[in-house]
Amino acid sequence: MTLFAWLSSILVAVIVLTVTAFGLWWERKLAGRMQSRLGPTIVGPIGLFQPIADLLKLVQKEPIIPQRADRALFWLAPPLTTLFALLVAALVPFGPKLAPANIDVGVPLIIALGGLALIPVWMAGWASHNKYALLGAMRAVAQSVSYGVPLVLTALVPVILAGSMNLNSIVAWQHRHHWLVVWPVFLGLPAFILFILAMLAEANRIPFDIPEAESELVAGVSTEYTGMHFGFIYLAEYVHTLVGSAVASTLFLGGWDGPFGPSVLWMVLKTCLLFSVLYWLRWSLVRLRADQLMALAWKWLVPAGLALVLLAAVWTQTPWGR
Amino acid sequence: MTFTATMIVFALVGALAFVGSIFTVRSSKLVHAVLWLGVTLGMTAILFVQLGAPFLAGIQLLLYVGGVMTLMIFGVLLTKRDGDSELKTEEPSRERGALIALAVFAVLAGTIWLGRDALQRTAVPSLGTGWLGTSLLTRHLVAFEALSALLLAAMIGAIVIARRRDPDQPSEPKES
Repeated sequence: MTLFAWLSSILVAVIVLTVTAFGLWWERKLAGRMQSRLGPTIVGPIGLFQPIADLLKLVQKEPIIPQRADRALFWLAPPLTTLFALLVAALVPFGPKLAPANIDVGVPLIIALGGLALIPVWMAGWASHNKYALLGAMRAVAQSVSYGVPLVLTALVPVILAGSMNLNSIVAWQHRHHWLVVWPVFLGLPAFILFILAMLAEANRIPFDIPEAESELVAGVSTEYTGMHFGFIYLAEYVHTLVGSAVASTLFLGGWDGPFGPSVLWMVLKTCLLFSVLYWLRWSLVRLRADQLMALAWKWLVPAGLALVLLAAVWTQTPWGR
Repeated sequence: MTFTATMIVFALVGALAFVGSIFTVRSSKLVHAVLWLGVTLGMTAILFVQLGAPFLAGIQLLLYVGGVMTLMIFGVLLTKRDGDSELKTEEPSRERGALIALAVFAVLAGTIWLGRDALQRTAVPSLGTGWLGTSLLTRHLVAFEALSALLLAAMIGAIVIARRRDPDQPSEPKES
């Protein structure tokens, strides 16, 4: 591994964590404004240091382990959730040269690691020895297994069109042709929307957050967690959404491709924009019922995804798609 | 013999895979066993990367992660309600198991030992994912499709078995 690879890995980790911390503040501001509130205002200018205050509070709190919990798994699960969520970021190219892991099988690996992130969530729910946590964990797994299928299918559309599973090549292809949501629009746009839906479901965000539906399950998987343990699970959710936005921007919105200026700026801009849209959705929509969620995945998203893959394959054989 | 970074990683990953597989069989809690199985499979994926087959590694992770999670669901559904039930590993089967494991090891080690000259002579070509896809859909098309059909049949069979109901019991109310 060269020095440059090390530096770019560190840089990407720093970018992701900074944007995540900023994202925590941004979500609360956005939600506040949407509900005619101000959001955080006290800590720092326009409440900007609120995430730091939150972190300090969480670190000070006492970690409580339930008496009948599975101690090892209970301790291990929360840091692992954050670790696995961050791991995906290493595969996302933030610039033509700024790709810490520029490998040929980027797309399957990203989806695999995204799915991997659910194992610690499951561990947390099971180890808590609490029926709400366990129910949340069961729901999370069932949901992730179902939505993994449309996620793979829609991610295949850019792969087929660009003829590569390397994320950097996919972006380079979009740089040479068009961003995928722009052209071919009848493939790119639906695939993009389906991908976003499936990704939201994988990250357990509203409208797909039944694993932690607070009206039914207290707080789902995180019910028994306190202090920094809870902090890790909370952080993982944000990192997951953020990295998911980055992956979606890479696959469909042209990634680091922009008309002027440094490429990494465009990548961060697109990611943040998508991140904001996801939080806009979160504060606008209500959650689906468990059976509606499954019906949506299997009756609509999977057939639509299959149709899109088929269409993409046909499109590459037409004179316009070559 | 000098120790390179690759060799150290190989030793660590191999050891973890070994330990993981031992714990998979010996754990008394089903969920622990499944998690150790996940560790072993993940380490195998890293071994694939070291052998120059990153695509296989990605697919290994992708498929087995789903597999492991499904196993966990079964683990909870099929063990006692409190989730603390101990699994009984049948004592008499231990020797037989060890014997079979040793036999498999002997066959594998023997094959590698006999073929060591050929292994050293030919450098392993690093064939890309494109080559893999092309050969699967041209040269090995029949085998590939036959396997797909077999897996589909197995899946349908599993669904039929899982959905078999007790004829005395009234069927579930239809969802509206």
